[in-house]
Amino acid sequence: MRASEAREGWLVDAALHCYPARWRRRHADEAAELAALLIRDGNPAASIAWSYLVGAAREWLAPPPGRSLSTVAAALLAAACLLGFSAALVAGTAPARAAGTTQPPSGPVPPKVKPTPSSVGSISPHPFTPCRPVLLRYVTGAVPVAGHPQLSVQGTAHARSSC
Amino acid sequence: MTTREQDVLRRVGEASVLILVSLADGPKHGYALIQDVKQFAGVELGPGTLYGALDRLERLGLIEPLPADERRHPYRITAPGAAALRVHLDGLERVSAAGRLRLQLGGV
Repeated sequence: MRASEAREGWLVDAALHCYPARWRRRHADEAAELAALLIRDGNPAASIAWSYLVGAAREWLAPPPGRSLSTVAAALLAAACLLGFSAALVAGTAPARAAGTTQPPSGPVPPKVKPTPSSVGSISPHPFTPCRPVLLRYVTGAVPVAGHPQLSVQGTAHARSSC
Repeated sequence: MTTREQDVLRRVGEASVLILVSLADGPKHGYALIQDVKQFAGVELGPGTLYGALDRLERLGLIEPLPADERRHPYRITAPGAAALRVHLDGLERVSAAGRLRLQLGGV
């Protein structure tokens, strides 16, 4: 047997193994022989294997004997609804939880403190500013050996950051 | 019951109808069915499609397997299968005649 024939046979065998056991018990021998005849006629093994793969998928998805298609469809629909409902619940609670972390503490809200000229540029943090943008400056010549502009972060509060 | 409701083949798919037409003149096994359908309809049935359709038709009682000839299982059409095929072909014939007539009248 040539290597290509062995590979073709392996492809079809692999596809046939995708069928449920009850199908294989009944049709596998005949299906393998049919595939061999079709390959001998010049049909590509890959397309035969693909046809068997699609057939196997249909066989797994088809309702078992005695169970109607509407029963299976109803079960699938119910499962999809449950999944969607759970996803909606998770999506609905996640933003609320995230928003809860930025809520100010309950109780009287202290008056806003206007920034004074002396406070601008100082490092002391504002009590109600959760995040504070900082100014970025390029400082050239900080490391003379490298000779490249160096990025330094200056801890000066941005004028617009006060809230 | 209307003729449309009697037509059990209207939901089984084209492959199943082609297989029934092929079995109408005598029992055949898988390879012979594929060759025959290719010859009279120009349709190449894939082997996966073939076995799916055979199983469906057998479940519906429209065909039955015969004792295996070596590894091959020939199938034959049953009496209900022949009746269902007749009803289906009558329906197709009516649609075909109406379509041809309307094409003539419309002059398209």
